[in-house]
Amino acid sequence: MSITLSFIIACLTQISCKKMLSVPTPDTSISANNVYSNDATAISVLTGIYAQISSQRLTSGGVNSLSLLPSLSADELTLFGGSTNVTYGNYYINALNSSNLGYLDFWHTFYPYLFFANSAIEEISNSVSLSVPVKQQLLGEAKFVRAFCYYYLLSLYGDVPIVTGTDYTLNSVLPRSPKEQVLALVVSDLKEAQNLLSDTYLDATLLNPTTERVRPTKWVADALLARTYLLLKAYDSAEVQSTAIINNASLYSLDTLNGVFLKNSNEAIWQLQPVVTGWNSPDAQTLILPATGPDGYAWPAYLSNTLLNSFEPGDQRKADWIDSIAAGGITYYFPFKYKLNSLTSPVNEYEMVFRLGEQYLIRAESRLQQNNTSGSTSDLNIVRARAGLPNTTSSTKEDLMNSILHERQTELFTEWGSRWLDLKRTGSVDSVMNIISPQKGGIWTSTAQLYPIPLSEIQRDPNLTQNPGY
Amino acid sequence: MHFTDFNLRAFLGRGIHKTVVRAMKLTGILLIIALLHVSAAGLSQKVTLSLKDAPLEKVFDQIKQQTGLSFLWDEQVLTKTMPVTLDVKDAAVSDVLDACLKNQGLSYSIIQNMVVIKKSSPIIRQPMVSTPPVEVHGRVTDSLGNPLAGASVTIKGSKSGTSTDANGNFVLSNVKDNATMFISYTGYESRQIKVDGSSDVSVHLNKSNSPLDEVQVIAYGTTTQRLSTGDVTTIQSKVIEQQPVSNPILALEGRVPGLSIIQSTGLPGSGVTVRIQGQNSINNGNDPFYVIDGVPYTSQVLPALSGIQGNSGGVIGGVVNSTGGNPLNYINPSDIESITVLKDADATSIYGSRAANGAILITTKKGKGGRTNVEVNMQNGWGKVTRMLDVLNTPQYLQMRHEAIANDGQTTGPTDYDINGTWDTTSNTNWQKTLIGGTAHYATIDASISGGNARTQYLVGGTYHRETTVFPGDFADQKGSGHFSLNTTSDNQKLKFQLSANYLVDNNNIMSSDITFYAVSTAPDAPTLYNKDGSLNWAPTTSGTSTWTNPLSYLLQTYSIKTSNLISSAVISYEFLPGFKLLSNFGYTNLQSDEKIISPLTVNAPENRPFSQRVGVFGDNNINSWVVEPQLNYKGNIGLGKLEVLLGASVQQNNSEGQQLYGVGYNSDLVIGDIKSASTIIAGSSINSMYKYNALFGRLNYNWMDKYLIDITIRRDGSSRFGEQNQYHNFGAAGLGWIFSQEDFIRDNFRFLSFGKLRASYGTTGSDQIGDYQYLSLYSPVNNVSVAYQGITGLLPNGLPNPYLQWEETKKLQFGLEMGFLKDRITFILSYFQNHSSNQLLPYALPIIAGFSSITKNFPATVENSGLEFSLTTTNIKTANFNWITQFNLSILRNKLESFPNIENSSYSSALVIGQPITIQKVYHLLGVNDTTGIYQFAGTKGTPTYSPTYGTDNNIIINTSPEYYGGFQNDFVYGNIELDIFFQFVKQKGLNYFYGSLPGYHYTNQPIWVLNSWHQPGDHAAQQQYSSTYANIYQQYSDASRTSDGAYTDASYIRLKNISFNYRLPDKWVRKMNFQNCKIYIQGQNIFTITSYKGMDPETLSSTTLPPLKIWVIGLRFGL
Repeated sequence: MSITLSFIIACLTQISCKKMLSVPTPDTSISANNVYSNDATAISVLTGIYAQISSQRLTSGGVNSLSLLPSLSADELTLFGGSTNVTYGNYYINALNSSNLGYLDFWHTFYPYLFFANSAIEEISNSVSLSVPVKQQLLGEAKFVRAFCYYYLLSLYGDVPIVTGTDYTLNSVLPRSPKEQVLALVVSDLKEAQNLLSDTYLDATLLNPTTERVRPTKWVADALLARTYLLLKAYDSAEVQSTAIINNASLYSLDTLNGVFLKNSNEAIWQLQPVVTGWNSPDAQTLILPATGPDGYAWPAYLSNTLLNSFEPGDQRKADWIDSIAAGGITYYFPFKYKLNSLTSPVNEYEMVFRLGEQYLIRAESRLQQNNTSGSTSDLNIVRARAGLPNTTSSTKEDLMNSILHERQTELFTEWGSRWLDLKRTGSVDSVMNIISPQKGGIWTSTAQLYPIPLSEIQRDPNLTQNPGY
Repeated sequence: MHFTDFNLRAFLGRGIHKTVVRAMKLTGILLIIALLHVSAAGLSQKVTLSLKDAPLEKVFDQIKQQTGLSFLWDEQVLTKTMPVTLDVKDAAVSDVLDACLKNQGLSYSIIQNMVVIKKSSPIIRQPMVSTPPVEVHGRVTDSLGNPLAGASVTIKGSKSGTSTDANGNFVLSNVKDNATMFISYTGYESRQIKVDGSSDVSVHLNKSNSPLDEVQVIAYGTTTQRLSTGDVTTIQSKVIEQQPVSNPILALEGRVPGLSIIQSTGLPGSGVTVRIQGQNSINNGNDPFYVIDGVPYTSQVLPALSGIQGNSGGVIGGVVNSTGGNPLNYINPSDIESITVLKDADATSIYGSRAANGAILITTKKGKGGRTNVEVNMQNGWGKVTRMLDVLNTPQYLQMRHEAIANDGQTTGPTDYDINGTWDTTSNTNWQKTLIGGTAHYATIDASISGGNARTQYLVGGTYHRETTVFPGDFADQKGSGHFSLNTTSDNQKLKFQLSANYLVDNNNIMSSDITFYAVSTAPDAPTLYNKDGSLNWAPTTSGTSTWTNPLSYLLQTYSIKTSNLISSAVISYEFLPGFKLLSNFGYTNLQSDEKIISPLTVNAPENRPFSQRVGVFGDNNINSWVVEPQLNYKGNIGLGKLEVLLGASVQQNNSEGQQLYGVGYNSDLVIGDIKSASTIIAGSSINSMYKYNALFGRLNYNWMDKYLIDITIRRDGSSRFGEQNQYHNFGAAGLGWIFSQEDFIRDNFRFLSFGKLRASYGTTGSDQIGDYQYLSLYSPVNNVSVAYQGITGLLPNGLPNPYLQWEETKKLQFGLEMGFLKDRITFILSYFQNHSSNQLLPYALPIIAGFSSITKNFPATVENSGLEFSLTTTNIKTANFNWITQFNLSILRNKLESFPNIENSSYSSALVIGQPITIQKVYHLLGVNDTTGIYQFAGTKGTPTYSPTYGTDNNIIINTSPEYYGGFQNDFVYGNIELDIFFQFVKQKGLNYFYGSLPGYHYTNQPIWVLNSWHQPGDHAAQQQYSSTYANIYQQYSDASRTSDGAYTDASYIRLKNISFNYRLPDKWVRKMNFQNCKIYIQGQNIFTITSYKGMDPETLSSTTLPPLKIWVIGLRFGL
């Protein structure tokens, strides 16, 4: 019996050793150590960020929703009366409620990407097994992604917490940093990115050049830096950045109106590759109305009369970039920059993030602010000519400034919240929205130019303060 | 089994009447052989008798007919006997004979197939007159003469006592000749015997009929209510059988104190939330631990493709797994012998880290020796929705819509199809009747065959069950199952082996979304469902726009789940030394489901079809697990008590795998089910996880003279869900019991008290109900990507890892008082429990600036669950012909967040309040509708009325939505061949009512009748605010009032006639003519009616947009061959 007992005891002690509890990582995931130990999986992380941004729809509250929600807040889109989405309604009438955003907010959109970028920066910097060119390019991409997120966060929310690490105990109690500090981080990240990033478009091995303009390059960092300098009113620096792109004529040139939004167009600086089979850009799916017109769910908005009326006679963009349908006795106009809202194979349109047209307008504005009227006029006229319009007749600086802003309105409508950000950047938001908001059924208050920080965030971070007015 | 020589000597020595002697002469040789080798197998045969005032001869005659046993008696012996009234079903012959003969001064012996009736032999033999004894020798046996080892023998009024050895023998010294011995044995009726100077005593004990002595299955063993030190409730198969449920856990609803069961929908295979003694974990799993025949079984299924079956309250990482139904749907109720619910630390601690939320043990049926038994049960039934909602008719609806548009200062628009003349405003359809008013059909047939002999028993059974839905269309859930059990024992009784397996195949064909919402909310003047040609009517405008979504189009998107479930177990044990047993159980389970959603083009409105695709979604999930549990068991007598020691180990592994595939781009509706026909195949989510679990455990149980009980359990276990530092933990519990009714002073002074026990237990259990791998930093492929970005798969972090995760711990304290009066005709159990769960595993909410909105971590918050459980059983009337038994149980529960350090600065500051239950809602105080504006007003800062209260500061009213108390009330009546059981269930709770429907006045949407009580013009004192047709104007007030105000949360208590069961046993002579053993017909009803003030469809689901549990009637026939 003692033999039996000792056998049992031996058995029992055997099974309680720690080895018995070790489980392999599941087939569905890879542990962090393994991810950053070789080039291919490390590249997958940054690629994953682009894929995730691209996979989201305009109506989902993802990054792409910048083409819908700020346009509703501004004067570009009209919300369909049958919309049942309270949050759309609140964006539309400039009366957001911090407790009722339904995750249609950009706070929840951008901060996870910042975590991805920050952890990539930490892990890539520490990794000893990545090859040098891959390490450099990925670090540049991660810095660019971080700058890209902060650019939109500060544009939409003003002061925001600066997160640069991955320790949740520190991050979860961060206060907001002044907008200037955030801008400084954007500029420094972009400058680093410019040094790190390739100046040719690369494929997913980061070794070979490609015609697909879907990964950030030095030029993409330039484009965002030009925008950022404009926001900082650092016009000379803005001009330098946009000039660098414009001068790279071998890569970039203005396309025909109907060619701009095609994949890998000459005008594209950065595009997102669609990642759902058969689908073209997410913009087309939501903004192009079907024959039955808008509805409460999938096609909630159409172009506003304000925007329609802002086109000069003869503007070819009104013909090429806008279309209409008549449904239920009403004619609805909708953006038709992207033209493919049905499934195609292969896919022909990519979602445009940065393009050359905008860089001309940035340089026109920068030059004007530096009193280079002729340079400014010439840049403006290049964009106008492509739209089939004659040269501008504006001659005074003020007139010319208005013309440039007007040109931005008609050139960049429903692209990444450009109009909403312009209204705020140029200080015309109150004067414009005091007229527009009541037309939409709202009452404009100046505090509505900053979106509210979601209430749950204020509750979870004791040091986070709300924007005024919410 | 051998008869004792005592019985033989008694038989011979007492002298037998001449007729018997003659009979003996005739069968002399046979009998002598029989005397040497007597078998009692015949006595375990089952008989069914129903006799009124019948002479004993008639009883013997009937037993003879049913069993083939013959009877021998001296006529004189029967002359002075009383006629007997008997009504038994499937009773053992021995029990019947005991009952008939006991009070007649008669006893019996059995010789081969012959039962010999004789005058009772006095228990005390051979009086010793000469000298007073100093030593008493004796033997304790059961009524068949089998020795009872370990029976306790005490001398009343003294401390001396002993217990019997393996042969039932005992020796007591220093016994006074006028002493009274008290002899007791678990499961048998105790007896008192005067020594009266005899030195050689033989006692036989009758089996106890008291429910206190019914066997209860507990963790790694069995006990009885009488001797248990834990809080354990067992529900036997009879209770399950009389309820037409396809998920066995539903048969427990309202019947077990401390157990709350909530069915999520009335669809076949629906989810069920099960909670034992409240909710311990703030934001992680609160499911009990399920064990089927010793094999752990999953408490949650993996996420399903469709949410239609509802959820089972499973929480992983703070997120409710909202889909998939309940895993117990895949267990056949008719295979179940008993379900035991373990609640306190004493009962559950041996399950260690998995039983913080209690444990539910399911034991399947096993074969019994004796004649081959065939049982057949057939039933057919019908189900209807329990309660419909009163909604507006067309004139009321139109009036509401017009008023809403006027209130908004608008005019009827081109898309207001419901009132602008597009739809026929004279039509008035009762959509609930049309869409959920159908009758679901139920059909079940099950059959089993069982038998064997004293050493080997078997049971094989099979069941087919089919149920349809109340929806239009051809939907059905079909289940087929097989059950098998084999027990065998070696010749020397040392080796025992048990094997059992349950296999069930379920083919559930339903639709992928519940159309109850549309039944409730479709406008009464909405178009007809079908065009004249029989196609679905989309009621298009002249320009081709559909004016509604035909609700039947949702039914075109079909959902099928094919599930197969295997649960198998084996136990092998060997008694290598007397009292020492080495055993091990082995278990394997495999739950496999294959799902398919077929979405043809026709689910879309015709004009949307160019933008739509045919979609086929395919999912398969598999959970398989194995467990091996070697154990060493000792049972023996130490001093005056019985000692049981158990040492064991457990090694377990669970593997979960699942994947989902989407097929799109089919060119025909007919081929969607074939993924190969899809032009594009997209991989959806995938699951792959492994969970390992090891433990060592021990239990020591000591029972001193059936009077003092002590039970100690310990367990050390480890789970792979935690980081290396924290994988192991120790758990333990102690339980004490004092059966004070065994004390002499109680026995002498309180004769009406037949049983009394005080018990207490304290111990710890744990919970590891979090997802796997939460301690690891893992990267997974990006979701919703079907074309790889630049041709490669993107990887992103899954979440924030926490390598320091450890157990959530629950400390349980319990006191119980159990009493039986008047020979246990009245029994009650009162338990008080207080459970403290600490080290809470929380998906600790983080601001998204940390990258993810939560991290799983242990938090030093403590939740207290306390309460009273009370159950009372009374036999109100017990006559030969009429029995009336009443059972009542009540559970009063209180949940409280005891501590939560620094809650003000945590993410839980808005959701939880210290001192309040963790299930609270913090809502606004609704002041009512402003008489002038017709808009809801709420109490704002300092109570001032406001239209727009501030969330976070003004939502100060605390509403607790968990039940305050619940219970059940059962009455069983047996009259002759008729048995009637009526069971009511009741719950006292608050819930979210459907007071406001969806926004009243919004287009195409019907409302509950009570919206008529709305504000119409200034000066109106109305309960509801003015109608509005748009979400823009006063929607926020509507939303606040209907979802986050105290006006929406009101009493949702209910009393439900949960079950009614009527059985009629066919008279024996008919049964015999049909060559049946027994036969009965029955009618059963479930959810028959509900008394409630709840505003909405169903107070159990607290929902008006999902199908409520159905009212079901079945009729059936059960017979045995």
